Amino acid sequence: MKKTRFDHINDQELLEKFYADRDNFWIGILLQRYTLLLLGVCMKYLRNEEEAKDAVQHIFLKTITELHKYRVDYFKSWLYMVAKNHCLMKLRDSQGKIYSEIHDKNLLIAEEEGSIQHHFEKEKNLQLMSTSLEELNQEQKLCVTLFYLEKKTYHQIAVETGYTMMQVKSNIQNGKRNLKNLMEKKVSGK
Amino acid sequence: MQNLIDILSQSNKDIDNQKLMDYVSGKLSAEDKHEVEKWMIDNEFAGEAWEGLHQFSKKKELGIYVDELNKELARYILEKKKRRDIRKIQQPSWIYFAIGLILLMIIVAYLVISKLNK
Repeated sequence: MKKTRFDHINDQELLEKFYADRDNFWIGILLQRYTLLLLGVCMKYLRNEEEAKDAVQHIFLKTITELHKYRVDYFKSWLYMVAKNHCLMKLRDSQGKIYSEIHDKNLLIAEEEGSIQHHFEKEKNLQLMSTSLEELNQEQKLCVTLFYLEKKTYHQIAVETGYTMMQVKSNIQNGKRNLKNLMEKKVSGK
Repeated sequence: MQNLIDILSQSNKDIDNQKLMDYVSGKLSAEDKHEVEKWMIDNEFAGEAWEGLHQFSKKKELGIYVDELNKELARYILEKKKRRDIRKIQQPSWIYFAIGLILLMIIVAYLVISKLNK
């Protein structure tokens, strides 16, 4: 993956360039930034390397078509939604299962999460955090502590705890979410 | 204590493709790995991608797959542009042809009418 002469231009600017002259060249530059992520997401859902590569190509085509039809403001979130929906549709077609499609709203939650720490003063935050951390289940508490406080990698945590890398990631992710929920409960209870 | 606050902070950094590729290929130091992983925890897109990339049998080939997909995309876009350019070039010649035909018909009509009047 080489550095390109467009690396200094951000996604938003590339989108604006596309909307200005409708040249797919700009979409190409944008999409190439996300090929690896798209490949990963497609593989996660489809669990087949060839199908995942095919799906990435379909998502590329769909993106080019859709961007000509309407204006997109947040390319990365939108592309993620397109990719996820494409994979879910493909799974539904092949397995006959019903999956619910995700919508923009879900994607915004992560972006809003950062605001909680602004509601408290630092000291109160630390106290709340310490007590909330103690309330997490053992696996989540261990993984969150090793990852955030001891700055260990997934692999190091996996070796130390005996969990798989996937379990480590999931424990950190769920632990962080539960920690926020616990803190929010404590704050709203006061 | 600062680390405790860091748990709830969101990673604002955007990890570039090369760093992510180096991460997947296992070329990063523990510190850089931790930085990428912290970013993935806060970024749903990257987090899910990590889960998928983890499942590839030959992780060292991921770079090749990405290059192939990018080349295919560039080729498609170039072909589409060529087709559009050809259409653009062909379109005016039809317009000129139509105008010429109309002019010719007007001249012929004028000649016929003026002959009939005589």
